Amino acid sequence: MKRMAGSDDDTETVAQARAGDADAFRRLVERHSRSVFRLAYRMTRNEHDAEDVVQEAFLKAYRNLGRFEERAHFGSWIYRIAANCAYDSLRARERRQESADPKAADDASNGPATELPSGAPAADRLVFGGEVRRRVELAMLRMSALEKSAFSLRHFEGMSIEEIGRALDLDASAAKQSVFRAVRKVREALGRDPGLRPTP
Amino acid sequence: MSHPSEDDLILHYYREGGVSPAIEAHLASCAACSTAFATLRADLSSVTEEPIPVRGEEHGEKVWRDLQPRLRVRPAPRRMPAVRWWAPAALAASLLAAFLVGRRFPAGGPSPAPIPEQARDRIFLVMVGDHLERSEMVLLEVANAEGNEPVDVRSAQASAENLVAANRLFRLSARRAGEPGMASVLDELERVLLEVAHGPSTQGPEAREQLRRRLESGDILFKVRVLESTVRSKEKQMASVPGTAS
Repeated sequence: MKRMAGSDDDTETVAQARAGDADAFRRLVERHSRSVFRLAYRMTRNEHDAEDVVQEAFLKAYRNLGRFEERAHFGSWIYRIAANCAYDSLRARERRQESADPKAADDASNGPATELPSGAPAADRLVFGGEVRRRVELAMLRMSALEKSAFSLRHFEGMSIEEIGRALDLDASAAKQSVFRAVRKVREALGRDPGLRPTP
Repeated sequence: MSHPSEDDLILHYYREGGVSPAIEAHLASCAACSTAFATLRADLSSVTEEPIPVRGEEHGEKVWRDLQPRLRVRPAPRRMPAVRWWAPAALAASLLAAFLVGRRFPAGGPSPAPIPEQARDRIFLVMVGDHLERSEMVLLEVANAEGNEPVDVRSAQASAENLVAANRLFRLSARRAGEPGMASVLDELERVLLEVAHGPSTQGPEAREQLRRRLESGDILFKVRVLESTVRSKEKQMASVPGTAS
């Protein structure tokens, strides 16, 4: 898992913040806001949503400072909270899309790749012209909020399945299955046929 | 070993649980699986990070500026003495009694030192604002508890119980004062507070998720925040009127 900067300096600052020192909490915000924003952006892929996630994450951290274990790293803790907030943000977006156009939302998450011809060329032949990036984007759009969150945390953040489960309030099996489904969607978008393999 | 599944290869790619010697050995000896893994690796390697908008040194300061107004009240420590939660209900009761008496018997009578009506209304708004804020904190404390372990929520339940008592008085008062919107939000809030107060004393992740869904489905926290913001701005307006500042 990517480590947040400044964790060694945080111990005393967190203790001061827990004692009610608002200025100490301000220092924690200033120290970690950019890392939290990067995580939020990687997950939401939307600047405005990512800024909202940063706000929510620090607000939640402030309200739960009493639960923070002093031996833990504040950076890892706020990272987990932010991942959870970003997941909430993705779920809210998903609900808005569903209520705006239930059919489109359903097609996007389950339907065939209407924009991708069947028998699409393999990924290594699509590298040029940004086609791979476009297809990956499409795959990300087809992922559910949970799949997108779990995949982003595993693929970009390097979190283990167990850490993903903790961050998203899931058991490890659900986190794992979400990553699997997300990877399959990426591979389908890239034109892979998972059937062309030896039977396990 | 038999051919690893796609899921096994995905876990192997991410080194989940470390490198599996059995899979490594199989890939070294099975051309089909080795090709399948190479293809998977190529696919996943093609998923690269999007450029992330840059945030400068001043970002933290801006986040703090936006955040600060939302941190007005420091959250209560988990083991807060019960008396602190009784106080608002008791104070609410006495103030509301004064408020209602004033509303019902507005004039005349040998009252020794009558509180001006506007000042009384302003005190009422301050009390309602604080009550909404406390209620929000209690609900968030229960719903947003971290982790997969059951959490002891007895302290939050005691708080919720006291908030229910105060909420009843505020709701009654809002209705009598001809504020149906406020009464309706307080009514919804009361039901959720009751659920927390009378629910199980330890709550697992499922129960917390259920509460989160309940809060989301009725937009209850949103309504509470809007009402809180409305009463606070009303109260500020009144504070600027001479003779109402306390």
